Amino acid sequence: MTDSGALALKGIRVLDFTWIHAGPSATRILSDQGAQVIKVESNQALSVVGGPASNTARGLGQRHNWNAGKRSISLNMKTDAGKEVARRLVAVSDVVAENFSGRVMPGWGMDFESISKIRPDIIMLSMSGFGRTGPWKDRVSYGQTLQAMSGFTDLTGFPDTKPSGPASAYSDAVGGMTGAQAVMLALIQRARTGRGQWIDVSQMEAMSTLLGPLVLELSANKSDIQRTGNRLAHGGGAPHGVYRCQGDDRWLAITVFTDEEFLALTKAIGSPAWASEDRFATAESRQNNAEELDKLVESWTLEQNAEEAMRLLQSAGIAAGVLQTGKDMAENDPQLRERGIFQQVPDAAGAMRTIERAPYRLSKTPGEVTSGAPEFGADQDFVLGEILGVDDGELAEMAIAGAFD
Amino acid sequence: MFEPNNAGSQPLTGIRVLDLSGDLGVYCGKLLADVGADVIKVERPGGDAMRRTGPFLEGLQSPENGIHWRHYNTNKRSITLDIGSDSGIVLLQGLAATADVLLETFQPGYLSSVGLGYEHLSEANSGLVYASLTPFGQTGPYRDYKGSELVGFAMGGYMYVTGWPDTPPNKLWGLQAYQTTSNRAFIGILIALYHRLATGEGQHVDVSMQEAVATTTEHVNTAYNYTGENAVRCGFRHGGQFVATWQCKDGYVSITTNTAKAWDDLRTWMDQDGMAGDLMDEQYNDRFILRGEHGAHIEELVEAWTLTHTRQEITDWGQANHHPWGPVTTAAELLENEQLWERGFYQEVGATTGGKKLVYPGAPYKFSESGWQLKSEAPSVGEHNSQVYCEELGLTAHDLQGLIKARVV
Repeated sequence: MTDSGALALKGIRVLDFTWIHAGPSATRILSDQGAQVIKVESNQALSVVGGPASNTARGLGQRHNWNAGKRSISLNMKTDAGKEVARRLVAVSDVVAENFSGRVMPGWGMDFESISKIRPDIIMLSMSGFGRTGPWKDRVSYGQTLQAMSGFTDLTGFPDTKPSGPASAYSDAVGGMTGAQAVMLALIQRARTGRGQWIDVSQMEAMSTLLGPLVLELSANKSDIQRTGNRLAHGGGAPHGVYRCQGDDRWLAITVFTDEEFLALTKAIGSPAWASEDRFATAESRQNNAEELDKLVESWTLEQNAEEAMRLLQSAGIAAGVLQTGKDMAENDPQLRERGIFQQVPDAAGAMRTIERAPYRLSKTPGEVTSGAPEFGADQDFVLGEILGVDDGELAEMAIAGAFD
Repeated sequence: MFEPNNAGSQPLTGIRVLDLSGDLGVYCGKLLADVGADVIKVERPGGDAMRRTGPFLEGLQSPENGIHWRHYNTNKRSITLDIGSDSGIVLLQGLAATADVLLETFQPGYLSSVGLGYEHLSEANSGLVYASLTPFGQTGPYRDYKGSELVGFAMGGYMYVTGWPDTPPNKLWGLQAYQTTSNRAFIGILIALYHRLATGEGQHVDVSMQEAVATTTEHVNTAYNYTGENAVRCGFRHGGQFVATWQCKDGYVSITTNTAKAWDDLRTWMDQDGMAGDLMDEQYNDRFILRGEHGAHIEELVEAWTLTHTRQEITDWGQANHHPWGPVTTAAELLENEQLWERGFYQEVGATTGGKKLVYPGAPYKFSESGWQLKSEAPSVGEHNSQVYCEELGLTAHDLQGLIKARVV
């Protein structure tokens, strides 16, 4: 598309202590654009997803997906020698990223105040469940904890069944996006002022911003807000839902708002008799009779192949989409294939691994990923030798002092 | 030691953004505005469609009172302009020559067809970052397909896995597919702005809602691509019973047995209440047993126990032992969150017509330098017409009157 030499973040070095999901997915975003991300790992704490413990197929997939293109070194931060290597890396880095609980970095002498003495314009990204201040600063969380506590779990699902919550760690994906945004903002700030800074990302807060208008409504109108299934919380639209199609667990989402769209829908499906009934004549009456309307629409979709029904409705100008599975997206979706959202990159042994590409296309600086996740500690020589200029004698001393155990 | 220095300029102070976006991109405009960009919301004469979306503050319908409008347009300025008219197009070209970022959500090809495409506007302003947010992107066989919040979730693979096995799939609360698209677009725009700082060069940023959602699913793609099996719906019992939500005395509670100690503590507490059944047996020592064939048996015992305790009790035991456990909070409880108030997350700015204080969600990130700020609430329709057209673009008051008469503004 463009010459791959145009990498927007070329020359930026990130010392990456993050683990699990949110942190590594934030730094992967930077790595894609040419930042050199050095993943600091440890034999002492095998991480759940980000580290070498990822020996399941799914864990392996996540390790590659969130760590592609990065470098890896092993440091034992419990030793003085390990800490000294980390401090020397800080001196030549632009960004330090971490998502430990609040006591860990200060315990290593790696709090913002300390590392900004080593490198005055350093940018430090600290990501945590609840933030580095306040009464809950020492609480621990997983993605699901944050979804529960931010309100997402209770609000997601149908009103007449148990809440479902988000299916996966939306809060970690959100944390990753938020962390990457914050680092980009700090890099822009630094380019303009020369100053570095500390960024405190609370994933609880990142999630709470996404409840959006709900907070205004709670303060101004009412507090007894309930989950609404597949209808929009603020109303509008009918039919608006998912409809079962032919086959095993196949579904089509259909959303109709205006009279024009409703006419186009009913015409496309063969103008059934119910289409002209008064109770479906206006947007308001359709909403008032939404449950009946849903059943009638589903009586049509049940006889349809989901993909064919989507194409038929889309050609009539209706927003309709198949509820795609992982397989659908990987193998059957011509749009994702043409757009190249999945990419094959070689792992250390040369086996090709599938990763997701960034969901934005930048015409001049598209970024690139040329390798999968690094093997644990694979870049010891590169990082110590080429970046820090450590010679063999010094290397042996560090090793004896336990820096890499 | 976290004392933000709010005196200096914000990260995007001085960056001018033309926000032509609809629902898909309006949050991206807010993200830019909240960190200092001068975001000019370009509304059609009479006002943006979102102004008519309810609910309204205190139920009072007016163009200024919609909670969606109010939330998504903080810190923005507003001008009105009919970009379907010839003189409207010329005016927008003039504005784009002064802008750093343009944000749009039209059908692919539409703006190009009226002389407002990236290829047109970048001619006069090569530094322009032009961001297009659409349901499926600017290229490919589905580029002209219509999208919506629900369709984005469906086609991006998030919806199929959300919900219970025995119910239809369901969406997440709110407008998360739109907001995810905006969140992703914001990253792309910031990368482009950083590149521009170094080179002066702008570019086109093409963002697809389907892709934005598809890359936010955590496990859907990796599960299939690495195991050949589709992820399926399992309600709030994520990853078997290993990361799960349970019904308790006063609602639901989230219990993650992410370490051997967490699992041991859980079954020990159950045992102390005489409710562990056979779970203290050695065969249950491996915490991953929760994922296996004994899952249903364990589930029955755990939930029988959680039902005898409150959310707070279980949360407190877990957190005191560093386990990531927490209550499922209901909407009615959100504004009581002491952590969010203590950290200044909630922003009390403005009031309803009836005098009720309004609370806005605050910053997604805290910076030690000047960062996120809520400086002004959403603008009224065309509030900044004369400021932008006359003071900044150099039109005379007479010119502006003419444009208003011709219904261009």
